[in-house]
Order: sequence, then structure tokens, then C-alpha cells
Amino acid sequence: MSDSSVPVFELGDPLSTLGTNTVTGVFVPGNKIALSAYRHVKHNSRDEPTETAGEAPVLIYMTQETTLFDEPVLRSILAEANATFVTLQQLGLEASRAKYVNISRAYRSIVRASLEKLHLAKMSPEVQTDEKRLQRFTDAIIVFYAAECLWHLFEILYVQNNQMVVRQLLEWARFHSPQTEDRATDLVLMEEEASEADDYWSILKSLILLGQVDFVRAMLSQNRKAGQPAFRAAELILKSMPVYQEGYALQKFNSQWEHWHVDTQRKITANVFATEPELEQLLKLVAGDNKEWDAGIMESQDWYEYLPGYLLFTKPTCKPYELRIAASNWLNRWTLLRPDKQLTNMSRMVTQLMEHDIKLFIFEAQKLNDTHWFSTHLIDLIYHSGQLKSYFDQHNIDLPALRHSMIYEYGSYLMGSHNLWQLGIDYLDCCKQEGKATIELLLPRIPIRSERLATKLISLARQRGLVSVEEEICKVLAKRSYDNQRYSNALEWAIRSKDVRLVTAIADHILKHCSETGKLLCGDTLTYIGGRMFASPRLVFLTKYHEFHQFYHNRDFLVASELLVNLLESKITPNYFWPSLIMDALPLLESRDPKIFAKETITILHQIETALVPIIEQNKEKHGHDHTAALLKDYRAENIADIMNFMRLACARNLARALIFENTVK
Amino acid sequence: MSSAVVSTHYISEKVARVRWLPEALQQSERFVTGSWDMDKNFVRLWKLQSNQHVSATGGDDVEQIPRCMDKVAMEDDVTAVEFVDNNTLAVSCADGHLSLMNVQRAVEEDQVQRVARSGQLHCFQRSQEPAPCTDIAIYGTDIATTGEDGCVNIVSAENIRLVKRTIEADSMALFSLCYVSQQELVAANRMGVVRMLDARLATEAQPNIGLMLPCRDDKSSNFVSSITTHPSQQHILLCGSEEGTITVWDLRNLEYPASYISAHDSPVNEIGFHRQDTTKLFTASETGEVWMWSENRAYGGDANWKDGNSPWLSGDRVRALINVEGVITGTRKAMNSFDVHGSRLVCGGDTEAVYIVDNIA
Repeated sequence: MSDSSVPVFELGDPLSTLGTNTVTGVFVPGNKIALSAYRHVKHNSRDEPTETAGEAPVLIYMTQETTLFDEPVLRSILAEANATFVTLQQLGLEASRAKYVNISRAYRSIVRASLEKLHLAKMSPEVQTDEKRLQRFTDAIIVFYAAECLWHLFEILYVQNNQMVVRQLLEWARFHSPQTEDRATDLVLMEEEASEADDYWSILKSLILLGQVDFVRAMLSQNRKAGQPAFRAAELILKSMPVYQEGYALQKFNSQWEHWHVDTQRKITANVFATEPELEQLLKLVAGDNKEWDAGIMESQDWYEYLPGYLLFTKPTCKPYELRIAASNWLNRWTLLRPDKQLTNMSRMVTQLMEHDIKLFIFEAQKLNDTHWFSTHLIDLIYHSGQLKSYFDQHNIDLPALRHSMIYEYGSYLMGSHNLWQLGIDYLDCCKQEGKATIELLLPRIPIRSERLATKLISLARQRGLVSVEEEICKVLAKRSYDNQRYSNALEWAIRSKDVRLVTAIADHILKHCSETGKLLCGDTLTYIGGRMFASPRLVFLTKYHEFHQFYHNRDFLVASELLVNLLESKITPNYFWPSLIMDALPLLESRDPKIFAKETITILHQIETALVPIIEQNKEKHGHDHTAALLKDYRAENIADIMNFMRLACARNLARALIFENTVK
Repeated sequence: MSSAVVSTHYISEKVARVRWLPEALQQSERFVTGSWDMDKNFVRLWKLQSNQHVSATGGDDVEQIPRCMDKVAMEDDVTAVEFVDNNTLAVSCADGHLSLMNVQRAVEEDQVQRVARSGQLHCFQRSQEPAPCTDIAIYGTDIATTGEDGCVNIVSAENIRLVKRTIEADSMALFSLCYVSQQELVAANRMGVVRMLDARLATEAQPNIGLMLPCRDDKSSNFVSSITTHPSQQHILLCGSEEGTITVWDLRNLEYPASYISAHDSPVNEIGFHRQDTTKLFTASETGEVWMWSENRAYGGDANWKDGNSPWLSGDRVRALINVEGVITGTRKAMNSFDVHGSRLVCGGDTEAVYIVDNIA
């Protein structure tokens, strides 16, 4: 958590260290940087191949920021916070204060629960033996402990909107130095024996410094000498200490407190506790004796550790705006006494919160190594609760814009990270057009490993009205299936993609395959294609042709012939398929009992002459006589000229038969 | 439903399937989850344990929390999990394999172990790349699997390495599968065609019977996202669709669907009846809803539904005969799977959490 530790990593690329070479990097979508060797070329550099051309390979390295969230345990922070984040968005800007406090608590409880999980996981043998993971866990615990601590303080000072803060601050300090309390609990459980414990008095002193009066009383009452006057007097002082309660008249309380304070000091000076020096020390602390508190400061870890305790005994009615002065005074005192101690980042951030320097606090919060989890969610809460609106206005900070950009960054980070996209999309949803555009960019980039995943992506895109994304995904899958020779699958994806050309291309392939081999692929799909065939005229043709095939196959020749005639005059027949269609018509035309009526036969002839003949002519012009055979052919007949001859002959015969048949009076 | 209590437990994994361990005489305390789309996917065994952190005031505290007892690492996404018998579960994976796992219940630490893994059941013919296995169905000791390659494979739980029958059921990816009887299977593809298959016959001899799922827009596709049969009246087939509708077929009359119900507004990821109480149906949707459909007793109750009739087959009147209640709403992220045992429902999905609902109905 220190500023000076800039992340450094080594790139063992020989090319980049050669001569004047250096390294260049480009940002790649998905929070990556592509690094490669680079040589600066100026307008006057000579245009020639480098000396290493063709020898040393140019390597491109992809780098990505490591994050704590690679650890599965921590994923729940992201997932759970995501749910809370969305709840807050639904709450809007106008909810009651209590609701925002609840949200704030929800965030903190997420972190606390995860800290607990982290501690447990850290103890597990698989982590203990893996040094790298152990370090990761330690880092994560530090980061999230800090996040919780700061969030808690923030909640007390800026979300709860308390009139008095000392009670809450005590609670805060108590939670963040649990060792003393744990030891005190042990001692209380030991009952009388506790008085002999070596650390009995030092624990008592720490408890007083932390303002834990109730604990102190419990421990004192168990002392062997509890019956003695000095102890009884101490108990009386602690018991009678006035405690401010919300709604109590402040003036009245102040006078009561003043009276109690003076009384305590008087008792100390009257040497009531002279027989018990340790006890006297405690009570001096209670009376706010500066010398004793200075001694306390010398033992504290962080500057803020004993501040709430000090306030309890010297200024119990401290208001949030008074805290600023009290805190800076206390900090000055601490630095004077402990000049050797450097302030940690966390201590600085606590100071900033207490001194109402939110701007700097947010700036520092972004340096936490949590990929902005803390700062993003906090800013969002600040924005919604509206508590600090005037502060931001005064400091000329555009809070909505700040929130927007942080959520946007965080969302696109999640969206770009492997398997966190479902969480990221919610954040981007809050970012209006910009978010939508980013979703549109990033959603199709998610690698599709299974069709189930694809349907999920499509469903997400559909909910947001991102038609282009849906179509793009379908197109990719259609292409993929096509390459895999899974034409039914490709066809269905193509229909979903609503890309007419793609559907046509696949239908073309199926038709061409049919005219080359006589086998119609995808029969089972074409049977059920129904209204979807209108995706492309070619598909309509294919479907109808398939239908014809089915009827023909089932020896339902009359219906089949009708369909075939329809196809022939439909004007959607692809050029290359004419020979096959005609070859299919031949047996029907040559059938002994006419299947095709005279009128329809004429139609067929008409179509051949008006549609097919021009195509043949065109082909001849383009490719000369030889090529026509190759272009227009069917597996049953190679030469188009033969086909035409057969056809004309068949038509003539059928016409003759049909005319006789139709005009015979039965 | 007012008494139903929902508790949420974040487990850091996207849940593909969740199943209670079968218990004959008591409320099941253990369930298994299979994860998907993670760096490492697991099948985990969970046991409900009393919450250590119950505060003195009680209040909103959750009484029981699931604790992970054991896990088995999988090669790829888990796509389906079903129990074959009380201790054996079949797990299908996106790498086209099927695994059998054995669960050992214990007082302290339960265990789950993989006992067998099948060969490559599903792969794309041309590239020979593995095709994701999409669903499994179980009848007795027979396990049927479907995959994106359009095949249905039937293996026996006694030896899953031996494929009893492979049916090339469809040339399109199959999404869901269900047994109607020991011999009959239904498999549904992405275009919305439900095919009837006979487990005894080879591909060529399969009856060419297909049902087309109705669709709001004739020109677009509507895939069958989940499929189930009524536990006691197996001729009633319910299909959840991509559009969020439920189509009910009476398999004795295939001409047209018996009922068509608009339900969710996103794909129905899982559909299934309560294991013991067949008057209740549950559905889970892609937008994170779990609904309970219960037969309306006010309309004459069971007596009216003899002779194989069922309110589910009553066409337009279904809505009047069946009540719908939301069990879980507002999670917004896909609810992929649920399972009900006794009065408890467990469900999970892409929120990376499992939800346990007590006192259901």
C-alpha cells in the first residue's frame, strides 16, 4: 500500500535490448497491453532492413494487470457487491437515510464475510504450502481490511448523519483493534484469577484508552481487592459517568458531565487511590490527564487508535464538524511524540476522512489494489445518498460525471475480464449510451465455447435491444458450423442472424451439393423450417424443392408435378440449378399416364425458352462453348445441350399425350 | 407462500446445475452443484449445517448454511447433473464426456468421488473436435445423453464406457432430452423441433415423428430450452422455450399442442415437477425468476382429472386451473437450475449464489 512501489516486471526480449532498440506498447481491448521491440524511425533514417531482419523473431507480449479477483474466494465480493449495487440503483436518489445506511452496511458485511472466508482459506494446507498464493491472500486481507475500516468510518461520518459521533467512533475503534478485547474476554472468564495475570493492568489500561468502560468495570469488579474503598470509589466513578443519549438536552448533559469530571479530578487529587497506583493511573486517564494520555500515545500503533477513547473522556459530545479540529490536534500531538513513525496510507486516509478532505480521500482510495472496487461503490453510494452534494459543489467536482466515469471504468474492466462479464454488464447498463456502446463492443468479444453460452449472450443482447450484437454472434456461429460441414446448424444460425446473403450462400451450397450428387442435405431441418424459409428467396426455393423431393419420394406424383411446375415458373430458380430441375421433370413428362397437363407443359416450354435459353446464351458468350457444359450440369447429365434436347422432346411427347388425354370424352 | 424463507449463499461459482441428494424418508440436507464458465469447474457436494453466527436476537438470521464437503474437478463446464440412484450421480461435461460419481454420506465429512468416465460420447464428425454434451436423461439404470452434434447416446450406469446405442437424431444441435418411457425418448433441437426417438432402434429405423414448437413470430426460431414429462402421467410433455412460453403436448395426440402458456419473458432454463407432489410445477428463467405453478384445488381437485386428463391439457383454460406464484424474483441474472425436495427448494445460476427456499407451499 505504499506509493513508491511501482509495479515492475521484466521482459526478457533480446531484440528490445539490441543497439538503440527499446520497447513499445499498445493498449488492446480487455485491459491488456501488447509489448514489442521498437526502434525509432525518423524522417531522415535510412530506409533499409534492420540488421536482425529475418534472424531474430519479433515477439509480441501480451501483458495484463494481475488482480486479486483471480482468487475464487474473492469472486463473491464482486458478485455480492454487484447485487447490492443494483439494489442501490433501484433505490434511486430519493430514499430515506436509513435505506442508504442499510446499503452501506450491506457492502461492509460483504467485505467482512469475505475477510472471514479469506482467513479460513489462508489457513488451509493448500494455501499454506503455496507461497505465491499465501502472499496473495495476505495482500487481499490487508486491502479488504483497509476497505472495511475506511468504509465503516465513512459510514459513521457521512452516511449515518449523526449529531454526536463519539459512540460510533468507539464502536469503530473497538472493531479494528480486537486483540485487546479478546484478551479482556479471557481475563473476565478467569474471574478472580485474572488479578494475578501479568498483563492484567496493561489490558485494563488499553481498554480505557479504547473507551471500553463496561469491560473495565467488569474486570475491576472481579479483582480480589474489589471490596476495598479505592476500588469501590473507582467503580462509583465509572458507573456514574454520564452517557449522552440522543434527544437529551445538551446543556443539562454538559453540566452533569462537568460536575462528574470535576468530582473525579478532585478525588484523584485527594489521593483516594493513592494505595493503588495502577488504579490511580486508570482514573487519571478517565479524568483526561495529559501526561497519562501521552504515555498511551507512545504505545499506540496508529495515530487514530486511541482518539475515540480520548474524546469519550474529554469531549463526549463531539459533533462531526468538531471532530475535524480534535483529530488534527490529536494527530499533531501524536507526530510530536512519535516523530520516528511514518504515517501509513491507511492512517492518511483516516485523517482525510476525519478532516473532511473527501477529495483527497477519493484520490487515495483509487490507489487501493482492488481494481477500484472500493472507490467505485463508495462514490456510487455518495452520489445516491446525496449527503455530500454541497461539498462537491463547493469544490467544483462534478459528482455525477465522476461516478459515471468510475462505474464505466469498473464495468468495462469486469466486462473485459474472463468470466466476469455477467457482472460487468450491470455496471455498464448504468452508463447510458456510452455503456450501451461498450456492451455492444465487448459482448461479441466473449469467446463462445458452447451454444448454451451463445444463447445466453443473445438473450442479454436482446434484452438491451442490441440487434447487431445478436446478429453478429449468430453469424459467427453459422460460419463456424458451416466450416464444420454442419449445414443444418449453419442454416439455422444464419436464419437467426437475418443475414440474407449468408442464408443464400448456405442454401446455395446445399443445392449445388444436390445437383452434383443427387443427395439433399439437411432434410430433417427443411421439413420443419416453416415460415423461417422466407429469410432468403433461395431458401424458399430450397425448401420447396425439398418438398417436391418428399412428394416424389412418396410417389405422390401429381402433387410433386404441380410443385415442380410452380418451381419452374417461380423465377427464383438459381441458374446453376436449371439442369437438375429439368432432369427431375423428365421422368414426370415421360410418364405413360400424363402427370402434367397440356397447359402446364406449355408453361414449362415457355419458361425454358424465356429463362433458361438466355442463360445458356449468356454463358456461351462469356465462356465459349466448352465451358457451358461444366457450368450448367447435373450429376445425371453432363451436357446442357443434351439436357435441352431431352427436355424439348419430352415436352413434345407429353404435350401430345396430355392433349389426347384431356380431350378424350369419357 | 408468505411463510417461505429465502436465504442466499454466495459460492463464487456460476452454477449450471443443482440437485438434492435423494432421501427416501427425510428432508434432504445435502445437494450437489456443478459449475460452468469458471477457470476450473467443479462438482461440489454441500451439506446444510446450522449457522454458527446466529445472533441472540434471531430476527432475519439464516438458520442453516451450506458448507462445501467435497469437490471433484471437471475438465470443462458441467452441463447436467442427475442422480441414477441414491448414491450415484451422472455428470455431463462440455467436453462431450459423461462421468459417474459416487457420494458417501457420513456424519462428519461427506465425500464425492468420480468412479467412471465415459469415452468421447459427442464430437463433430468432420473436425473430430469434442462437442459439448448438453443434457442427460435417466430411466432406471439407462443414461441417455445429447450433444451439440445432434446425437443421442444411451449407456448403462453399470458400464458407461460401453455405448449401448447411438442415434443420430438430428443434424442440428440438440438442447434437451427427456425419457417418456423406457423405450421412448424425446429430444429437442435449437429450431424448436421435438423428436420422438425409440431407444431400441438404430438411426435408420427411427420413427420420423417431430413436434414443432409454436412460436410467436413465424419467421424466427424458438428453441426448446428445457423439457419434462409429468411424473405420473407420462404422456404429458411440457416444453419450456426460448421465448419463455410453456407448450404442453399430449403424446396420445400429436396433431397440435394441448396447451400453450405464456410464462417468463426469457428462456425457461429448467422446468420440472415437484418430486413428491405432482400438482406442482416449477420453472426457472434466464432473467432470474423461479415460479411455482400449482393446480387450483377449487376447481374440483383430483377427482376431475381421472382418465389421464390433467389441467395441463386443458388448452386455454390452463390459466384458470393453475395458479402461478413467484418463488424467487428480481435476481435478474440467469437462474440455471433448481431442485425441490420435500418443502425445500434449492436453485442457483449466474449470480454465483445458491438460494435455499424453506417451507415451500
